Amino acid sequence: MSTHTTIQAPAKPSAFKAYFAELFNGVSTTVKGMWITFRFVWGVKPVSIEYPEVREVLPERARHRLYNDAQNCISCTQCAMACPVDCIYISSEKLPEGSEIKKTSNGQSIRLKLTQFTIDTALCCYCGLCTTVCPTECLTHTQDYEFAQYTIDAMKYDYLAPDVVAWRDRIVNK
Amino acid sequence: MMNKWDIDGLAEKPTINADTEKLKSDLLTLNMGPQHPATHGVLRVEIKTDSEIVAHAIPHLGYLHRCMEKHCEALDYRGIIPFVDRLDYLASMNMEWGYVMAVEKMLGTEVPRRAELLRILTCELQRIASHLMAFGTYALDLGAFSPFLYAFDEREKILRLFEEISGARLLYNYIWIGGVWNDWTDSQIDRVKEFLDAFEPQTQMYHELVSMNKIFVQRTANVGVLSIQDCFDYGATGPVLRGSGYKWDLRKNAPYSLYSEFDFDVPVGTGEMGVVGDCWNRYIVRMKEVKESIKIIRQVMDKLEPGSVMGKVPKVIKLPEGEVYVRSECPRGELGIHLISKGGKEPYRLKVKSPCFTHTSMLPLMAPGQMVADFVATIGSIDIVLGEVDR
Repeated sequence: MSTHTTIQAPAKPSAFKAYFAELFNGVSTTVKGMWITFRFVWGVKPVSIEYPEVREVLPERARHRLYNDAQNCISCTQCAMACPVDCIYISSEKLPEGSEIKKTSNGQSIRLKLTQFTIDTALCCYCGLCTTVCPTECLTHTQDYEFAQYTIDAMKYDYLAPDVVAWRDRIVNK
Repeated sequence: MMNKWDIDGLAEKPTINADTEKLKSDLLTLNMGPQHPATHGVLRVEIKTDSEIVAHAIPHLGYLHRCMEKHCEALDYRGIIPFVDRLDYLASMNMEWGYVMAVEKMLGTEVPRRAELLRILTCELQRIASHLMAFGTYALDLGAFSPFLYAFDEREKILRLFEEISGARLLYNYIWIGGVWNDWTDSQIDRVKEFLDAFEPQTQMYHELVSMNKIFVQRTANVGVLSIQDCFDYGATGPVLRGSGYKWDLRKNAPYSLYSEFDFDVPVGTGEMGVVGDCWNRYIVRMKEVKESIKIIRQVMDKLEPGSVMGKVPKVIKLPEGEVYVRSECPRGELGIHLISKGGKEPYRLKVKSPCFTHTSMLPLMAPGQMVADFVATIGSIDIVLGEVDR
């Protein structure tokens, strides 16, 4: 069993002088602390932001809601495999015979037809691993952090849906 | 005579003095937490009180258990990094570094010099941020509100920098296997310099405001005393061990990375205000460590040279069969990562030795004989993060 240190209560200041020294120490350190706090009354700019009216300018690399540019996606599923929480759902099918093979913006050919690209943002941990493996750089983090919903199913965002383009125009191309 | 407080023989000599002796009455079981604001998260401590005196304290864990170790057995090595982030969420950078070092040691990766320096830079900044949080919340626990605001103001500046380099404020995923994710630009390095120049005088203000304050000293000196022998028995590390007067810092005693190149001191508790190993000493060790971190960061910035920040790492990381145990000095103590691999893309086992768990287990040792209010001061002084305790 361990040896526990026993402490004696500090000896009471019996001497008159020691008592007043203690008293002076107490008052002076308290006043000093109060003075430091008092100095902040004038000349110090407030650091808090009044949120809905004033918005913080987010840095370029800020990792918020994901956005997939479905026009450039080649359905390689590398993002889904890199995801540690498995929140990206992708499905694709073969292009019909004889159809034209489109190119992405960086020159890769799209050989599969993307039929579903859904991200469950309620599961997403915003780690950014999926964006680093994307070969066409179509999956990116945006700076949109205001996407609260009433139901958990509404947190699943389908990036082939038409309303996503409107959202993209609001956030990405602003 | 059998001590009626000594329920399981843990407290041979409860720390009481003559004044509290005559207050003894029947024991009352009281639950502190899991939502008590002074317990730093979701720690529940079942305390048996004898009027105002704590006779016995049992910490109950598991309110933040997320099966992190089991999850990691099904993840690839890169995907584990966001999970180790969530261990000690106030010092994510240090957590990442500990894990990444374990993988690199098994993989035999060479990390570029600039990446190592940037890791030291970020981790020391993180140490400052973490100790500021410890300082602020400790003062808050003891009833002082304004130090908390001053500490958070400064911490915010560090978090803003981290947000710029990594994209996140708390859970960074910045230190990667083989290097770091993004390079710092020169203007960001200059901002660190500016921050340090503005921050260094602030530390003096903290001392005047809190450390030397009579009320604070009375609340913390001679409270929750841990002897060096207690620390050895329980395996305490970090500021708790150093507060008890033992000079042990992995950055100095078993240098990893490039720490052997830097000149810094290891502050230990000296017992200026009370006994060595009391709450005040543990607190002041943290505040002195902040100054040492500033010293290290200044040296890092002088040594920084342009270069690559990512070493050569295979696209799919497969570790050879074997196991490795890596220790690193985190703000709260020594983090140990025990990684076992049977080959393949996933680890066979990832065991985390957490300093906070060790320190939580020391609460029953410190509690007997304290007032309930002193017990709050004791919990604050060991500075635990429940994410790391429960994992």
